[in-house]
Amino acid sequence: MRPPTHTVARTLRAALVLAVTAGLAVAVPTTAQAQRPDQAPIRTSSAQDPVAEKPYMGWSSWSLQTTSYPGVNPDGNYSYLTEANVNKQTDALASKLKKYGYEYVNIDAGWWRGWDWTPEFDEYGRQKTNTERFPSGMKAVADRIHSKGLKAGIYLPVGLEKEGYGDGRLRIWNTDDCTTGDIVHSDLRTTNGWDSSYKIDFSKPCAQKYIDSQARLIADWGYDFLKLDGVGPGSFKSGDNYDNRADVAAWQKAIKSTGRPIHLEISWSLDINYAKDWQATSNGWRVDTDVECYCNTLVSWENSVEDRWRDTPGWTRYAGPGGWNDLDAINVGNADMSGLTKAERQSYMTLWAIAKSPLYSGDDLTKLDDYGLSLMTNRDVLKINQQPGKPAKPVTSVGDEQVWASENPDGSWTVALFNQGDSASPVTADWQALGFTGQAAVRDVWNRESLGRHKDGITQAVPAHGSRLFTVTPQGPELRTTAYEAESPGNVLSGSASVAGCDECSGAKKVGNLYTGGKVQFTDVVVKKAGRYLVKVAYTSGDPRSIGVSANGKAPVATAFPATGGWQAVDSISVPVTLKAGSNTIAFDSGEGYSPDIDKIDVPRV
Amino acid sequence: MNDQHPQPPARSGTGPTRRRALTLAAGAGALTALGALPAFAASAPPKRPAVSPMLAEGEGSTTRMWYRAPAGRTTMLERALPVGNGRLGALVGNDPGQEVIFVSDATMWTGGINDTLEADGQFPYGRADFGSFTQLAHVTVDIPDHDLGAVNDFRRELDIDQGLVTSRYVRSGVGYERRVFASHPDDVVVVHFSQRGGGHYTGTISLDGTHDEKTSADGKDNSLFLGAEFANGLRYGAAVTARSRSGSVTTDGARIVFTRCADLTVVISGGSNYAPDHTTGYRDPDLDPATLARTKARDAVRHPATTLLHTHVADYREQFEGMSVSLGPSTGEQRALDTWERLKFRTQQDVPDPELEALYLQFGRYLMISSSRDGLPVALQGPWLDGNDPDWMGDYHTDINIQMNYWIADRTALSRNFDAFTDYCLAQLPVWSELTRTHFNDPRNRFRNSSGKVAGWTVAYSTNIYGGLGWWWHPPGNAWLCNTLWEHYQYTQDLGFVKKIYAMLKGACEFWETRLVTMTVKDASSGEEREVLVADNDWSPEHGPQDAKGITYAQEVVRDLFINYREASELLGRDAEFAKAVAGLQERLYLPEVSPKTGWLQEWMSPDNLGETTHRHLSPLISLFPGDRIRPGDSPDALVKGATELLTARGMESFGWANAWRALCWARLKDADRAYELVVNNLRPSVDGTNGTAMNLFDIYEVEKGRGIFQIESNFGTPAAMIEMLLYSRPGRIELLPALPAAWARSGSVTGIGARGGFVVDLSWRDGKVREARIRSVGGRRTKVTAGGVSRDVDLRAGRSVTLRNFG
Repeated sequence: MRPPTHTVARTLRAALVLAVTAGLAVAVPTTAQAQRPDQAPIRTSSAQDPVAEKPYMGWSSWSLQTTSYPGVNPDGNYSYLTEANVNKQTDALASKLKKYGYEYVNIDAGWWRGWDWTPEFDEYGRQKTNTERFPSGMKAVADRIHSKGLKAGIYLPVGLEKEGYGDGRLRIWNTDDCTTGDIVHSDLRTTNGWDSSYKIDFSKPCAQKYIDSQARLIADWGYDFLKLDGVGPGSFKSGDNYDNRADVAAWQKAIKSTGRPIHLEISWSLDINYAKDWQATSNGWRVDTDVECYCNTLVSWENSVEDRWRDTPGWTRYAGPGGWNDLDAINVGNADMSGLTKAERQSYMTLWAIAKSPLYSGDDLTKLDDYGLSLMTNRDVLKINQQPGKPAKPVTSVGDEQVWASENPDGSWTVALFNQGDSASPVTADWQALGFTGQAAVRDVWNRESLGRHKDGITQAVPAHGSRLFTVTPQGPELRTTAYEAESPGNVLSGSASVAGCDECSGAKKVGNLYTGGKVQFTDVVVKKAGRYLVKVAYTSGDPRSIGVSANGKAPVATAFPATGGWQAVDSISVPVTLKAGSNTIAFDSGEGYSPDIDKIDVPRV
Repeated sequence: MNDQHPQPPARSGTGPTRRRALTLAAGAGALTALGALPAFAASAPPKRPAVSPMLAEGEGSTTRMWYRAPAGRTTMLERALPVGNGRLGALVGNDPGQEVIFVSDATMWTGGINDTLEADGQFPYGRADFGSFTQLAHVTVDIPDHDLGAVNDFRRELDIDQGLVTSRYVRSGVGYERRVFASHPDDVVVVHFSQRGGGHYTGTISLDGTHDEKTSADGKDNSLFLGAEFANGLRYGAAVTARSRSGSVTTDGARIVFTRCADLTVVISGGSNYAPDHTTGYRDPDLDPATLARTKARDAVRHPATTLLHTHVADYREQFEGMSVSLGPSTGEQRALDTWERLKFRTQQDVPDPELEALYLQFGRYLMISSSRDGLPVALQGPWLDGNDPDWMGDYHTDINIQMNYWIADRTALSRNFDAFTDYCLAQLPVWSELTRTHFNDPRNRFRNSSGKVAGWTVAYSTNIYGGLGWWWHPPGNAWLCNTLWEHYQYTQDLGFVKKIYAMLKGACEFWETRLVTMTVKDASSGEEREVLVADNDWSPEHGPQDAKGITYAQEVVRDLFINYREASELLGRDAEFAKAVAGLQERLYLPEVSPKTGWLQEWMSPDNLGETTHRHLSPLISLFPGDRIRPGDSPDALVKGATELLTARGMESFGWANAWRALCWARLKDADRAYELVVNNLRPSVDGTNGTAMNLFDIYEVEKGRGIFQIESNFGTPAAMIEMLLYSRPGRIELLPALPAAWARSGSVTGIGARGGFVVDLSWRDGKVREARIRSVGGRRTKVTAGGVSRDVDLRAGRSVTLRNFG
């Protein structure tokens, strides 16, 4: 959820006081998350299906709650969230989408709040069902979801909501001597993305008990999924008061103690610098701000679907079984409501699928149009999302034209062409950027047709904000390359550039400090034949950055590098340079800006 | 924005003016035959070629422009490919799922005579009063199943050898092809859809006006049409019709619906009742453009698409093939790139791409053939618009732009395409004369004649198509227009043409007879005082002080005007007395000096730099180019040096037409490196509106950060500079390869290049030296041909030629 200042004016106040109650939970074998994502997760129990083994699929109420599309929220903002609507969407999910793997029905913010957003709490300071919205109670809703063979999800904000504090005198459920006053800081410092909670002090023994009581409540109701929102660092907050890592860890512990497998998803726009903490304690994390536009459609391209292409790559390495990069809801199901063009809807679904994001619709599932349904139910696309393997990431410069790829378990590649520009443009995937040469068989995933064999690569015209999605099966040999280290003593470093240590880097060194004139020039890069070469550049970058790339003193080409996930995290993209036969220089020049650190380059041997 | 509606009908306003203009024209002895036919008129059945004029694949002298993605509605001006038949211009987007065609007709002008001066004695310059060039209609062909996201191997190209836009793609294994061309003989734009492999087209066609017109459909002939009238009384109309040999074509509401058509031919026609005749208020009152558009579309669509195509290509080839150029071979790597990638590569690598550069030259010719035939001349954007509020109204600018547009015509075997410019001037002249007589000496006009007298005619910086002038008065504009016309005579030696323009030249001289004022100047070297004639208070175009007497630009163009007029008078044996008087004026004309302070040729009668050092205009260098009073080798060294120093100070980093003008000047100074550098500067890819060349090779000028607009002059001026680097001419003199850059030196050839004095030259070279030159007379007799320090005298009768070799 985005900060309330972005929401519709009428509910600004309401959103500001967003608060919480809680219930209980059951014990579960949630996954242990400390391991690297590419390693098999260690399960603490085999009694249940492992949680988040694959990106989860389902539906969430939030997108519909946020829109001013006519008729959706007749009783004020966020009023879409009612038992009747949840039931309706449950039925639609069961009948239309369940067979494709969609299974979670997730109730988002507001189930404990009235139409005017006033929260309700029980005598233990836990969120209490608003019976106007949910007359049958939260358990009955979950039971009904289960009766359709689906799973139920619920929502809580992080911290002790201010309205649940009760002057510090409320007893914590299932304790004799803990009160709400015993779990917060004495100065009542606030936390979460809206400052709507008191920060819980987990150095106090009673603190965990409060979380346990909330987990117990939702577990007893039968929920299988919890979205914990407003979590920091993230949610547009930083600093100690907004460091909710202990909250998330406490939730993981509390869920485990309930014995019920509850998927713990954290939100929103989590700080990537704590990615390993999120990996260790949750099953998924929202990498970005809300996808919703808070306008008269569900989303819009600019606000903020398109942000994902920039913000997702850095997270790639952190996704894997047990915990996934959550790009937020998919709202591609209905042309009118989505606020997107046909091409944008396809790109949206494509990125979410290949990035192995959870796939949960925010649409009105009773109103999916044919095209929307085809986007959401293409089995080949869903397979790309659900099959084992790493998420796709950019393999070349991330300008308007982008190529994202990942290797599939069967040795083929998932390759997506994206055009982020405002007009149609050709986009080329070079096989060399994928590490092989020669011929490859290309299958068009969206259009369900074979495009035959393509030599060296494939170029297609991609519509404005559009995409193409291919499965590419290499038939040629692996690309052979020659490596050149950035820190090589023969290279010329100028300006601020300097050699720095880097454990993940080749040779444990890289060249950094490439800013405002800092430059590293590789010398004596030798090729036999003149021509255009795709040079694979290994680098580290905490955020997306640009650098000018040139060979032999020609004009530098501004090249956009995606974030690698940290300044010690190495990744690579391939960039074109024109070389002459014999010895060449290749320079990486920060120009006027701030640039990534360069580890090494691999130059094809042709 | 379309703001012409509040404007009262122009016809009532032009009544009295018409009478006055007639009187004046008669008095001036002017007005030879005007092409009084309306621009859009019923035409005789076209001549159909007996054999296919189509070039075989791989034939043709010119690199194709090609792209791997279509243009979209929002990027038409930078990315769409232009077609035109001299009157109709269209931008073609080529999206498989939605073909978008923006159609303009050169006469789609709002505004009128604009004869109420503003408080400062200058002309209004708004879209309602002065008027603006606008679009005619948009045609859209929707084919939903061919959505771009679902097709493969898209490619579109502009084949300027044949005047043909082609796009191809594959959908579900079927190859689809579409061809778009603007036919002059059939006077329509044709879009032909075909396929190979059992495919078909299903979709709709719509015709949308751009001025809130209502489109109607006629199911009997499957046509859509619209017709309306501007507030100024100009009537216009457009029509589209479609035909298929298979499937079904019907109308539904205001759309044409086609279903399962294996082939489809869409024909677009349109125009206005504009007539280049002031006596009828620039209208043909009897013409109903909507009806005529329907008739033309209906007539054309009856023919097989191949017939229409062959008719067009035969007509187009006849003009295009008059000139060929090779500047040497490009590399395989360069050839493999699509045109946009190639432009970017050219700049990034800074390596010559001779075939791309030759293509750019020929593209200028393509635009000229497509936009300048027997109607109006090329305006600021030609007939290619993407909106109804083009910058500077898409008008005619008289202080460089319209002149530059026509510098390539005679140089590149397109002399006939020059006629539109001549006819335009002649058709406007009566009103220009009238406005000059009645308004130029308005006491509020700071540029008025201090003599209190006025005669002849002049113009303002902007002109429209109704005789109207816009923005500020531009007194020397008349001389520059005349000199541009005169150069056409120098190339063609056509006495009939001299007769046509004689009155214009004479009227301009009469104007200057009343405008020159006497001034006493001190000779710099001798210190002696002398009386000279100088131009009255004026503004060196768009630069510096606005009340300067004797600005260099005026002195130089008036001098050339006088010389040209005297020659015309002698050729025709007319007005000997007046010519003598003009000679007297010419003798006393002050000519600019070199500033002892700056070392530059002075722009004003001042040794000081009174303006911006790197100003875009080169007005004070007008006698370096297009004039040729200043000639290295012939002129005093100090004068050449002063001009060179001024040109150097103006710099190498301007934009479009300003770079082209600089390149032309450097070519005249035989500085190949600088001339070439400026050409190359204009080839920089325009990204986000920056100065340079757009994807479709249109020249883009960055009016403000992030907003670039199309200015066509550079698309003509830059090629003119490229030619000027290969050949310099003036009557009696031809110099081969005066400024051949190293990039083109290895080998190359041109055919069909015009030379002043009445010759056409074919030329080939190797290693920087002329191999062979064939000089053909098109009316010229004697000239001296020089190359590599060797000169040959040539004496030819019209139609004869001589081949020269063994130059140094």
